[in-house]
Amino acid sequence: MVHAVDGVTLDIHEGETLGLVGETGSGKSVTAKSLLRLVPTPPGVYAGGEVSFRPRNSGEAVDLLRIPDQQLRGIRGNRIAMIFQDPAKALNPALSVKQQLAEVFAEHRSSELFRDAKIVAGPPGTRPLLRRAAHRHSTFFERRLLDLPPFRAMEKRLERELDERIASALSATRIPNPAKVMNSYPHELSGGMKQRVMIAQALACDPDLLIADEPTTALDVTIQARILDLIQDLQEQHHAAVLYISHDLSLVKRISDRVSVMYAGKLVETATTQQLFDDPLHPYTRALLAAVPTAEQARGELAAIEGTVPELVDPEPSCRFHSRCPHAGPICAAREPQLLTRKQQHRAACFLYDDPQDLGCPVDLMPQSQVSETQ
Amino acid sequence: MTMTAMQMSDRSHEASEYLVSVRNLRRHFPIKEGVLQRVAGHVRAVDDVSFDIRRGETVGLVGESGCGKTTLGRCISGLLNPTEGGVYFGLESEPHRELDDLLNTPSDGRTAEQDQRLKELTHLYRIDAMPKKRWAEYRRNCQVVFQDAFSSLNPRQLVKDIVGRPLKVYREASGSHLNARVIELLDSVGLGEQHLFRYPHQFSGGQRQRISIARALALDPNFIVLDEPTSALDVSVQAQILNLLHRLQQEHGLTYLFITHDLNVVRHMSDRIVVMYLGQICETGPSREVFQNPRHPYTEALIAADPTGGSEERDGFRLMGPIPDPARPPRGCRFHTRCPVATEFCGWDVDDVVRQLESSGVSIEGVSAVERHSDFSAELDFGTEAQAAVLVDQLQSDAVPDVMKRSLSQLKRSDKRVSVAFDPVEEVRLERVGPEHDTACVLHTNQYPQLRERS
Amino acid sequence: MARTAEVGGVIRPVDGRLRALATRTRRLSEIARESLRNPTTLIGGVIVVLFLLMALFAPLLIEPNTPNAYQMPRDFSSVNVPPGTDGHVLGTTPTGGDVLYGIVWGARTSLRLSIIVVAITVVIGVAVGSFAGFLGGKWDEVLMRLVDVFLSVPELIFALAIAAVLGPAFGNIILALAVVFWVKYARIIRGQIIHVKQNEYVDAARVMGDKRWRIFLKDVLPNSITPVVVQATVDMGHVVLIGATLSFIGLAEAGLAEWGNLVSEGQSGIIAGRWWVATFAGAMVFLWSLAFNLLGDGLRDVLDPKSERR
Repeated sequence: MVHAVDGVTLDIHEGETLGLVGETGSGKSVTAKSLLRLVPTPPGVYAGGEVSFRPRNSGEAVDLLRIPDQQLRGIRGNRIAMIFQDPAKALNPALSVKQQLAEVFAEHRSSELFRDAKIVAGPPGTRPLLRRAAHRHSTFFERRLLDLPPFRAMEKRLERELDERIASALSATRIPNPAKVMNSYPHELSGGMKQRVMIAQALACDPDLLIADEPTTALDVTIQARILDLIQDLQEQHHAAVLYISHDLSLVKRISDRVSVMYAGKLVETATTQQLFDDPLHPYTRALLAAVPTAEQARGELAAIEGTVPELVDPEPSCRFHSRCPHAGPICAAREPQLLTRKQQHRAACFLYDDPQDLGCPVDLMPQSQVSETQ
Repeated sequence: MTMTAMQMSDRSHEASEYLVSVRNLRRHFPIKEGVLQRVAGHVRAVDDVSFDIRRGETVGLVGESGCGKTTLGRCISGLLNPTEGGVYFGLESEPHRELDDLLNTPSDGRTAEQDQRLKELTHLYRIDAMPKKRWAEYRRNCQVVFQDAFSSLNPRQLVKDIVGRPLKVYREASGSHLNARVIELLDSVGLGEQHLFRYPHQFSGGQRQRISIARALALDPNFIVLDEPTSALDVSVQAQILNLLHRLQQEHGLTYLFITHDLNVVRHMSDRIVVMYLGQICETGPSREVFQNPRHPYTEALIAADPTGGSEERDGFRLMGPIPDPARPPRGCRFHTRCPVATEFCGWDVDDVVRQLESSGVSIEGVSAVERHSDFSAELDFGTEAQAAVLVDQLQSDAVPDVMKRSLSQLKRSDKRVSVAFDPVEEVRLERVGPEHDTACVLHTNQYPQLRERS
Repeated sequence: MARTAEVGGVIRPVDGRLRALATRTRRLSEIARESLRNPTTLIGGVIVVLFLLMALFAPLLIEPNTPNAYQMPRDFSSVNVPPGTDGHVLGTTPTGGDVLYGIVWGARTSLRLSIIVVAITVVIGVAVGSFAGFLGGKWDEVLMRLVDVFLSVPELIFALAIAAVLGPAFGNIILALAVVFWVKYARIIRGQIIHVKQNEYVDAARVMGDKRWRIFLKDVLPNSITPVVVQATVDMGHVVLIGATLSFIGLAEAGLAEWGNLVSEGQSGIIAGRWWVATFAGAMVFLWSLAFNLLGDGLRDVLDPKSERR
């Protein structure tokens, strides 16, 4: 059994951006998907834990891992939205941009739509009929029905209302000429444009939490910067919390309030952005920061982390980083370090900061912190 | 003739300062349309690019996706034939100077003698025209490491066969000697004998890239084209590979062409940098110089966009608008459509009017006919007078950049017809602005002296 | 294992070859293990193996008829006897042919038919498709239009027409099927090759200066062939089905020990209650093509190159 994510504890507060950093195979994407129960089971297994989510409007916390599917669907895309790395795969190639967005509104905002479109009463079955029309799921018969007098006018109003909302959602992401983009298909748009459409889709329902899984990795630097700015601006407007997942430390530094670092399925460090980048505690975080090439470093002397990420098949209780860690002592291979608060708001899972007496183990088993100073 | 060619090739191999010289290289890809596959236009992936790669140095080639850097790399490594111009290999300084002189003379101004000499030089040094034997020498000497370590190794071959294959192709080794050589190569990239009999899918991304590098080293080449060798890797593994590449360069005296979109990597690895945009070079120079003192707004924008290097002072350099279609690149400086500091001399043209209309959302459906006199002047006919008036209003509104308005020499509406004309400009030239530092921005060169006076 | 592991040390070529072989067989055994775990391949495989055994050992199971073993022996003394009769375990046909003989030797006929047809069509199809896909351009255009022409005619009708023109003989059925079936392979391999050609390892081989034909044989073909293997397996069943149809219509020699032939002989008796001839032979055709279909489908999953990557 592969333990892709193993005992991760995260808090994201209202209106803050939490950066989740990790390399390939660290389990950061699986963590994000697990929040919305998007990991297919089988083969996946949720072996334990909870995801407690407190929506702004109701204020009542729910455990996303345990609520019924029906209720979860009402939260996905509505209270919690997600944007993915590859917009080309996340958007349906057969639907126009307008249809993709209409789907979201029809799913989560149908009552508001009906209210604003002044559809108050009608023959029984009117609402389901129109809802299906908004979804573009109407059958042949229903479409004929919608051509008839009372429905026709209602559908027109609904359509207009939808168009308005879609256009405003698109222009919020600074898409030039939303009217034209609305009627185009994903393949007609550039990568940056597609990512904007996806952001528009994600923010359409004014979510409490936005999960962004490597949203700019597939984009060029110049466009990447603009998408980053956009996410930041929109977050400020909507006061949403953002979970920003990336392998790129510099991106996370730019956008996050707090940062969590994952390694091999475990959280190794959590701190405010400033603390983490000024004074990283965990050896892995330090190594990761040092590995970024800069002009100042002499060529050929980058601080690479030797070795590879360990296999996550039935791992032994140990620090997962011990085989690559310059400080590792015998205890690192024998016991699992706890993610404890080491400084204000700064948590790290490393024996370097543990007192051997608390652990009840001899000092010579402990990792040696001097190593780093002499090196 | 063949005699001299042979002699020259032998000499040049030893002495030439320039390992590879790219001159006026163009590579266009036809866009085919319809059932009959009619050629509807050309994507100008690489459009008139010239630069030199010197022995032992690392040249970084940066740019966004679609700027033509990969195509250029493929042309240099001989995987693609250029549409025009070419790649010259092993030019000594004398023929190098001579070639430049000849190429700088316009083709109708050359004497028959000069034409003859140019043909000779082409035949001797240009990789797609050189004698077979010399081409084989280049083929051995120029190797490539590809970006995608997954698709660059044949999944059905063992590591031993992958790394040993170049040696077999050139009958350099066989049997136990071959195995020993392969182990030596694996050892030099940090792998070992235990990896010999494994399939590529049994390795991690970083290890696969090491195998690729070992294969490229097998023939002991002088020159390696590195096409985004680390962009698919994690930072910690990237650092390992970059260190390895540097060590190998020192040990084997290699010359690198390092193609990447990652500014940090290129800054760390390169001696000189070539920045490309839409198929053309916009700036080239020593790496330190280009980063500390960029002389092209695109380079500045790239640096500003980079999350680590971006300092607050450059925050004004956020690029707006999409990258234009490389099949119809903008006139003048290709960057002017997105440039925050564009001037009226940057090549505003009729297509900019269309671009402006499209992005501002004004419908151009009312256009019934377009009469295009040149790239810089055209007449548009509209269905109604009102529609024509909308265009004129639009072009005079604030949505249009001031400099574009300033370069408009004519904007006249007569009934349903609008005539638009811009001051025609020449193509921007790459000019020297510092030691070995060239840029193609009119703000920094002497192409328009009035601009320099203004600043 | 690593006794020779001193870096730069010498591995004897024999050692090397043995170890390479070991890795390769490990890969094969992985595929085999995977196949056994997959119920589709397992069931299909078992039935296929039983059929193969029956076909190969037919002469041991039942004494071959002389002079031509592929002709059913006629026992005019017991015509239309039901199954269970002495000497005729599965009964006889209206012309006194032994049904059991027809079934067992029919397996041999089917195997002969399918192997010959599939071998011919795979070779032709792969050759034509590779030519078109690897060379591209004009060659591709011309060859693929030719393939389109073949594909536009329904295969059964096409095969029927050819066999009818050539006259009733088993050899003609083979020929007719071969003419019909090769186009599919040409299509499949061409598409595969065009896709595989874009891989960077092909460019890498070009950069090291390898010859074009060697790149084709080492890099392109081995990575394109999997779907052909799957299709060939499925076609082993399909060929027998269509072959049976043709001989049912009477395009094979009369009295041939062949399942379609048997069904044809037995069909008129069904109404009269003589169910056994057509039923047993029909069941054989059904089982045969089902088994190869299952095996082919299962192989598709097992050999999927995507699963190799992981």
